[in-house]
Amino acid sequence: MGLRGGLEAATEEPDLGHASEGRDGMNDSLAIAGRELRSRLITGTGKYPSPEVMRDAVIASGCELVTVAVGRIDLDTVEEAITDYLPDDVVLLPNTAGSATPEDAVRIARLARAGGLPDWIKLEVIPDPRWLLPDPIGTLQAAEQLVDEGFTVLPYVFPDPVLQKKLEAVGCAAVMPLASPIGSGSGLKLRHAIEIMIEQAEVPVVVDAGLGAPSQAAEAMELGADAVLVNTAIARADDPAAMARAFRLAVDAGRAARHAGLIEEHETAEASSPTGGLAARS
Amino acid sequence: MRAEAVTVTVNGRAEEADPGETVESLLDRLGLAARYALVERNGEPVERGRYGEVALEDGDSLVVARPVAGG
Repeated sequence: MGLRGGLEAATEEPDLGHASEGRDGMNDSLAIAGRELRSRLITGTGKYPSPEVMRDAVIASGCELVTVAVGRIDLDTVEEAITDYLPDDVVLLPNTAGSATPEDAVRIARLARAGGLPDWIKLEVIPDPRWLLPDPIGTLQAAEQLVDEGFTVLPYVFPDPVLQKKLEAVGCAAVMPLASPIGSGSGLKLRHAIEIMIEQAEVPVVVDAGLGAPSQAAEAMELGADAVLVNTAIARADDPAAMARAFRLAVDAGRAARHAGLIEEHETAEASSPTGGLAARS
Repeated sequence: MRAEAVTVTVNGRAEEADPGETVESLLDRLGLAARYALVERNGEPVERGRYGEVALEDGDSLVVARPVAGG
């Protein structure tokens, strides 16, 4: 079935992003499960003050993949569908939010696919309501099941490099480690573990959750993350569309910096100007 | 003579349906037909392409869902 929602249309758009070019000026698109995505910023649709504001932010972000949750329709107040507000050229990435067990997650994924959503699934198995940390064992179980059923699975995980290898082994298309707890805006608290994941990755690493500022997204990209997923930091900004654009620029900047080759850190100063200037003693 | 109506539950609420009424017809009648109306019948997902074929039976339990805001 693959992705729906206008991926083809999206790839035909003019290239707006100079920074989407890589080291050699070549196309630096992100490939997940064989699909080319030009934007390395994925956004969520939650927590916006209105669907109109959400739509404007999604457009400003330049993202091609947008996450949605799956929820029961309230029969008493059937509101407009969020999908009515999304641009036609974004691709929906349904998540399994609300799943405390692998069975819950598999159920949501099957329901989403049967009803016509893409067979890509952001897998979340979250039993813990306080920290919203994912269950690694339940996630692995659900991932294996869903891969077997033909889904393209992108699991949301605590940044555990051992779990990453197991998820790769069962056929996940990407791994999405959290930078810090969902919605916390704390940035790369788990930086070292994410660095290990990036170093040993065989499928894309998408840093998801906890990024509160564009600088933190840039930092993740400088580390070598393949993409980042941002929701709260954009949705709860004073001006979500402007913040979405800021994240877009930061992701591009971080990616470009990664390609450009960052200098090594030094404990001591290293002069940028000649030290033998006019005031030098002869 | 009109055959007796069947009763199904939709998201926990009892709804009368005509015998042989399809999922598609029920969604239309309840104003739930949409691009991404997702349907589970007695715990099993219903393929979108079959909404117009699957006839409701007395006692069926349906869950109707759709994409909502999320991260």
